[in-house]
Amino acid sequence: MSHVNLIDVENLTMRFGGLTALDELNMSVREGEILGLLGPNGSGKTTFFNVMTGLYKATSGRISYAGENVIGKTPQAIYRSGVARTFQRSRLSLSLTVFDNIVIGDYQHMQHGLLFNLLRRKAFRAEYEQYVEKVRDLLRIFSPPLMDRLFEPVETFTMIDRRRIEVCRALMSQPRLLLLDEPSAGMTHDETDELMQDILQVRGKMSQLSVVLIEHEMNVIERVTERCVVLNYGRKIAEGTYAEITADADVQTAYLGEAA
Amino acid sequence: MSEIGQYIFNGLMLGMIYAMVAVGFTLFFGVLDVIKFSHGDVLMVGAFAGLTASIAMTAVGVTSPVLQLLGMVLFAVGLTGVLGAAIAKFLILPLHKAPPLNTLLATLMLGTVIREAVRLFYPDGSNPKRFPALLPTSSFELGSMNLRVDNLILLVAGLTAIAGVHFMITRTKLGLAIRAVAQDGETARLMGINFEAVVLFTFALGSGLAALAGVMNGLYYNEVNFGVGLLLGVIGFAAAILGGLGNMYGAIIGGFLFAALQVLGSVLLPALIPEIPSAYKDVFAFTAVIIFMAWKPTGLIAEKTSERV
Amino acid sequence: MSLTVAAVAMTLYVWMFLHAESQAAVAVLVVLAASAVFASRKLGATRVMAAAVAQRPGLARALSLAGALVLIAAFHDSHFVLLMLCAVLLYATACLGLTVQFGYSGVANFAGAAFFGIGSYATAIMAAHTQIPHVLVIVLSGLIAAVIGSVLITPVLRTRGHYAALVTIAFGILFKTFIEVNDVLGGPQGLQVPGMKLFGVSLNDGIEIPGVEISFYVPYVLLSLLVFGLVYALVSALERSWVGLSMDVVRTDETAASTFGLHIARWKVVAFTTGNFFAGIAGSLYGMISGFVAPNNFTFSDSLLMLSIVILGGLGNIAGLIPAALIVLVLPEKLQFIQEYRFLLFAAMVIVILLFRPQGLLPRKTRIFFREEAPK
Repeated sequence: MSHVNLIDVENLTMRFGGLTALDELNMSVREGEILGLLGPNGSGKTTFFNVMTGLYKATSGRISYAGENVIGKTPQAIYRSGVARTFQRSRLSLSLTVFDNIVIGDYQHMQHGLLFNLLRRKAFRAEYEQYVEKVRDLLRIFSPPLMDRLFEPVETFTMIDRRRIEVCRALMSQPRLLLLDEPSAGMTHDETDELMQDILQVRGKMSQLSVVLIEHEMNVIERVTERCVVLNYGRKIAEGTYAEITADADVQTAYLGEAA
Repeated sequence: MSEIGQYIFNGLMLGMIYAMVAVGFTLFFGVLDVIKFSHGDVLMVGAFAGLTASIAMTAVGVTSPVLQLLGMVLFAVGLTGVLGAAIAKFLILPLHKAPPLNTLLATLMLGTVIREAVRLFYPDGSNPKRFPALLPTSSFELGSMNLRVDNLILLVAGLTAIAGVHFMITRTKLGLAIRAVAQDGETARLMGINFEAVVLFTFALGSGLAALAGVMNGLYYNEVNFGVGLLLGVIGFAAAILGGLGNMYGAIIGGFLFAALQVLGSVLLPALIPEIPSAYKDVFAFTAVIIFMAWKPTGLIAEKTSERV
Repeated sequence: MSLTVAAVAMTLYVWMFLHAESQAAVAVLVVLAASAVFASRKLGATRVMAAAVAQRPGLARALSLAGALVLIAAFHDSHFVLLMLCAVLLYATACLGLTVQFGYSGVANFAGAAFFGIGSYATAIMAAHTQIPHVLVIVLSGLIAAVIGSVLITPVLRTRGHYAALVTIAFGILFKTFIEVNDVLGGPQGLQVPGMKLFGVSLNDGIEIPGVEISFYVPYVLLSLLVFGLVYALVSALERSWVGLSMDVVRTDETAASTFGLHIARWKVVAFTTGNFFAGIAGSLYGMISGFVAPNNFTFSDSLLMLSIVILGGLGNIAGLIPAALIVLVLPEKLQFIQEYRFLLFAAMVIVILLFRPQGLLPRKTRIFFREEAPK
């Protein structure tokens, strides 16, 4: 893990009418690290992801990502700079196939021209076959049974498999930054372990993948993350290793309430 | 001078009717996030219902204009209210979970069904029918303008109706329930509001308002025809969008705005091109709407949308 | 094997259907078809058929083409039937465009008939007043339709479908009114459209084979079949490509799509423009075939009729367009007594479909980019 900051968040504020979701948030993500983003419900974690991926425009403040300010960029531009995410409430196109859903993750490298797609079918087929291989490689890691069911609609799969599919989609584009929003929701202990192992395995093959992980399951955070940031009411209240933040009094208050 | 006055008055009348239709659209959208395209044709049913009531009453010897008017309005509003609620119950609510375009398409088709049904099954339905002239035809002078009493009565009636609906929505408990459902159906349900009942009532209300507009339309032009619903529906919808879907004030403004566009068109165009047919006023108005929507697609007052990411 | 049997059976059925004169005969045929479909569903025959088609798509296509050619040959002297076939093929072509817009991209277009009409009018003017070769006229008419449609793009791009709906409805009404009051474009009577000239030969002169009576519509039907086939192949390739995939993803989840870089606006524009182009060329050819164009053929109700074909056939499944077009266009001609009630019935039918079987006759299948041809 280097000590170069991939992301620097400066005084980030996000207001929705009367509600302040992010309140002058200051934090950073180091290149190559796995950062746990914690905090009670409503503390602004998903909102931060949404601002980071360009779905919301921050009211004020700045996010420096790879030297440029993310605020004001379109989601598409942010994606092209190497940011990929999963969603808290799984967002897949249910009527489309497993292959469809995963392959679209690498949209920026596909050839979209009408001429290529409609008239140069041989060339298109070659590109298509390459992608089938890539998708299978990912599924081999995350869910081998799915390899034989590439062309079935996603809606026929369990929630767990759908989450895996979503993670595969995010990894397809070989991102620089991976934002995972409660990927293990609904999974058992073992399934969560497996998922994290798989993510680490893929990360091992990629040169520099930074991961920000929103999670509620503390075991996962403890085992997988190198550093944690805890939010409450849109502000950072603690930062450090898992051991450090769990010992922090403010964190305990945030999660458990004031000591009597 | 009085010609301008005539144009303005005409515009006010049209704007009134459009506003009443637009309010319906906006109510339905607000409550269920749905565009009920058959709304214009429901208006037409109201007009025909009024006509039928009038014919029936004349047949049994009730000829007093006041009674006829009363009977017309009551029958028209009642019938379309029931029709509106039935449409909500059997078509709109079942399709609530489906993609929104399905509901749009279904209500469009329903409008066609209603329109064709009247054309085919109402006696001599495909021809325009004379609407009884029940309002006093006297007129009086106000300054340099010649005002007709019947138009005045219609204007006042329309304004009263809209004001009444507005009052109901903003001041009564039922109105509060409607607004609650419009804001957040799920939570409203949790708060003990009978979601379905409110939806059905809202649709009945909007449809009844449209029926009134239909009767007024018939009284103003002294005729009704089966096709009047399509154009009025599109105009009402355009007006609702102009003012911002879901916003009642916007719908009213939008209605008058569209009428103003039509009046402008019918005044401006002959001044520019002498022999231009009057139908061009519709072309003008719709072109203006399309241009406006290219500029401000969600209308004057932005449509309220919220989606959890 | 089963594919060939099915193809022969269907060709025979359509032949009988087109041939039937009395309404009783037609009614019997309709009931026959309905029961056959019902029975085959129960017996699982439909699944077998679907699998067979999926396994040997090349053969399925060849058989369909053969069937169509057999029918054309069978009705070589019947002007009326051939004209109807032209209508079915060309309306289906326009509906291919609507499928790209509505089925793949989720863009509502309620002015399909208007773009069809623009194609016809453009052709009427170009063919009558210029020396442009007619094949080029067809392409240009499509382009004109696409360009005029692009005027509506900005509101169409809004997320919520009802803005596109309103704008296209308004446009459709506007188009019809505009044409009607415009004497330059023929007014309510419309314009005459010259017959098509291909390589210097006027198709209206017909083909002559000694001893055999051949309707001059035959070359037109063949041309319509060609156009339909070309557009069908293009749309099929489109669906099984990154273009179709992108459109589907934009339609199903714009938010997620944007976070994966998809250009939302671009795909909707491509869909809307391409769809209108197809409608335009279909209208162009149809204008030359029917010989005239008038505003009354391109009303809002006609646009709704086109949409009902798209929905009935199965939204997003282009294989269902021909059967649906046959039902919507030919059935009322055969069952004269429902002609009057055409719009009412088909509108009601769409409502019923949307309520109870929104996938239509032939539900859209999952995307299979390339099938391995099964060994013989």
